[in-house]
Amino acid sequence: MRNTAFSSRAVSSRALRSPKVRPLQSLQHGWRVARALFASQYALMLEYRAEIVLWALAGMVPFIMLAIWIESPAGAALGMGPTQLARYFLAAFVVRQFTVAWVMTVFEEDALQGRLSPMLLQPLHPFWRYLASHVAEQATRLPFVALIATLFFLVLPWAFWLPTPQRALLTLAATFLAFVLNFLIQCTMACMCFWSDRVNALERLIYIPILFLSGTAAPLDAFPPALRRLAEATPFPLLVNFPAQLLSGGEVQIAAGFTALAIWITGLFLLMTLLWRIGVKRYGAMGA
Amino acid sequence: MGNPLGRYLLTLSRLWGTSLAMQFEYQANLLLEVVAAVANLLGSLLLLSLFYGGGRALGGWSWPQALVVLGVYTLLEGITSTWLRPNLSTIVGHVQQGTLDFVLLKPIDSQFWLSTSRISLMGLPEIATGLGLMIWAAGQAGIRITPWLMIQTLLMLVASGLLLYSLWFLVSTTSIWFVKTWNATEVLRAALSSGRYPISAFPTAVRRFFTIVLPVAFLTTVPAEAMLGRLTLPWLLLSLMVACIGLALSRAFWQFALRFYTSASS
Amino acid sequence: MAPSSSTSPSPSPIIRVDGLSKTYRVATKDPGLAGTLRHFLQRRYKDVAAVRDVSFQIQPGEMVGFLGPNGAGKTTTLKMLTGLIHPSAGKALVAGYTPHRRQANFLRRITLVMGQKQQLLWDLPALDSLRVNAAVYGIDEAESRHRIHDLAEMLDLGAELKRPLRKLSLGQRMKTELLAALLHRPEVLFLDEPTLGLDVNAQARVRSFLADYNQRFGATVLLTSHYMADITALCPRVLLIHEGRLFHDGSLDALTQRLAPCREVRLELAAPWPLEALRTYGEVESCEGVVVHLLIRRDALTAAISRLLAELPVRDLEVRDPPIEELIGSLFVQGTLS
Repeated sequence: MRNTAFSSRAVSSRALRSPKVRPLQSLQHGWRVARALFASQYALMLEYRAEIVLWALAGMVPFIMLAIWIESPAGAALGMGPTQLARYFLAAFVVRQFTVAWVMTVFEEDALQGRLSPMLLQPLHPFWRYLASHVAEQATRLPFVALIATLFFLVLPWAFWLPTPQRALLTLAATFLAFVLNFLIQCTMACMCFWSDRVNALERLIYIPILFLSGTAAPLDAFPPALRRLAEATPFPLLVNFPAQLLSGGEVQIAAGFTALAIWITGLFLLMTLLWRIGVKRYGAMGA
Repeated sequence: MGNPLGRYLLTLSRLWGTSLAMQFEYQANLLLEVVAAVANLLGSLLLLSLFYGGGRALGGWSWPQALVVLGVYTLLEGITSTWLRPNLSTIVGHVQQGTLDFVLLKPIDSQFWLSTSRISLMGLPEIATGLGLMIWAAGQAGIRITPWLMIQTLLMLVASGLLLYSLWFLVSTTSIWFVKTWNATEVLRAALSSGRYPISAFPTAVRRFFTIVLPVAFLTTVPAEAMLGRLTLPWLLLSLMVACIGLALSRAFWQFALRFYTSASS
Repeated sequence: MAPSSSTSPSPSPIIRVDGLSKTYRVATKDPGLAGTLRHFLQRRYKDVAAVRDVSFQIQPGEMVGFLGPNGAGKTTTLKMLTGLIHPSAGKALVAGYTPHRRQANFLRRITLVMGQKQQLLWDLPALDSLRVNAAVYGIDEAESRHRIHDLAEMLDLGAELKRPLRKLSLGQRMKTELLAALLHRPEVLFLDEPTLGLDVNAQARVRSFLADYNQRFGATVLLTSHYMADITALCPRVLLIHEGRLFHDGSLDALTQRLAPCREVRLELAAPWPLEALRTYGEVESCEGVVVHLLIRRDALTAAISRLLAELPVRDLEVRDPPIEELIGSLFVQGTLS
């Protein structure tokens, strides 16, 4: 007890003397918080290993679609042979696993169960918690995704490939940004909880364009041109199609993709911050 | 006391009455549901259309014929939203909150209670659009709708519905072990989404899987065949048999799960 | 330590329990990241005995309390009697049925009420849920209306039955739960912490209702609680369960006598008295100025008191039992009888 009191006094006087110490301290503090959050969330995720496996399996739609695309002459008409199709859909599966977000569900549940108020009282924005749990779950998923990819190559050995180092790097960057984008989409919509009691109808609604327009069920190359332009005006193709094309070695406009990601992420971040501020005020006013 | 059947029917009518009353307590978002149903249908049509054009067919099924399959799929989605999802998601809730005990102590079959206690209007838009699409597409495919055709189709739809129920119930039962498995039903939904397409669209090996291991073929393709007047007797009988096996399995698995629950809970 | 029985086996007990035991397998996890990973790869289990070799009999119409600290095995025993848990060993017979077979006729004769858990639907008035229950138990309209009216009167419920359950206070919800649980006039009532979380008034009302119900309908009542007030108010007979074993089966007074062979004597003297002199009368618990607390054995009590009154300048004298909560609490802390 005495030691910390002494050191906190020492810190504050030191801080007064040299302001440069403060940013470093807050960075250390932030790192400590992040580590603690991650460790606890990781332990939590490991408790629910069965659930993690199921979540990985729930992403099987690309594989189902692959089966149909390979069998149908439509793929060849596109200029995508079986190999290219197989690579695309495996890439789509992997990318989807690491970009999925479910903030709306947990946020709504926390709000309904009254767990939100204690969270709002802490000097940590609740969305950081959710981010930590998402990242922790992705870390838990890694072995299963690797296993599924291995099985895939055992069944379809002719489709095996390894991306070039540049492509690999670009894919990592694009996947990470796609995750941030998806996370922000979810957070922005989660703010709706402050206005409406039940947002799960909205949640069902957002999964529809994600399924059809993101490239999970079909590569965007297969879309008729008009529809493709429409889809590319939305952020959804950036979630799966863009990183998956990067990973599978397909043709893709790299600069345009990253620019679009940057624009959408910035825009949504601003929108979300705004909605959050207004929403929290309203939440407090309602006497939550 | 009354005969058991009468008691069950009366219980059922009262359960549904209370369930509907509950929905009107919260302003039911019917409008959003209609929008979702339409959006889902449009998206499915989009995906399906990618395989057509340029004179191509999907698995030997013409465009109107494939639409009948999509119609059956949409109809089954509606049934899922109306009947399956509201009920079977309560199983997880009961296990989590310890209120499954109350269900087990009622002198009524627990599977019946958990499978029928809720009903939702939210699936009605999809049921309507699914049926509509089926009938319209069949017309486009040049089928004459006779009473005999309708009877066959209805019979296959009933078998399909019961099979779907069995699959959902089997998956929901696993929540007794895993507690937090509302996502197990998500795996089922993902697998069943293959029912949007006629079974012959898949490679042979996958086709066999979807007929024997996970009977998706019986869910959508067989009723579609009935609607298109192509159903043969062996398939009709097989479909009925698969539905009965499904029901028996779901019951057996439930009893097994209950034995575990009563031995392991504290 | 063999439990002391207060009643010899009678011709027709409604509940008969013989050597009932329940053991669980629980996964163990070491703390820290290393422990988490080990747990992930290979789970380790250990056996936990929740209930060990419990035997007792209960006559129809009795009100019996299960007493014991958290985790003692009270709820597990109760759930084994309702058939919700399969025993690992031993037998139980309730109203002539084996509980874990959960036959419909058995289920009609019992009911279970759990504190802070409800069977009634949250969003609707209780009356709607009651109609469903009436259908399930096969009670016709007229009869169920009559019973609801009766029970509502006993429970002092009126308009509350018509409001959605989520709008009622905890006390009112508990009362409507009781009504729903008793609609089918069960012969045996199992109550698991029914007054948990209720305020003092609500607790008192629930207690008086249960006593009333027992009087009117002669139902057998088994109650677990860790509120002593529930037990002292309602249960002439108490089963004390500790670490899964039946420790005491008899009246609360017998338990007090058994746990506390001494009684507490509070003295107020005219002037302070030396400690050594006080010690000759009994064990001195405390001595603050003129107020003295002595512990004296029951068999030596009258003699000691006459001596005290004769030899000391006593202004006030009070004899009482140490509070039963303390006795039981200290028993569970020590793990032995003094």
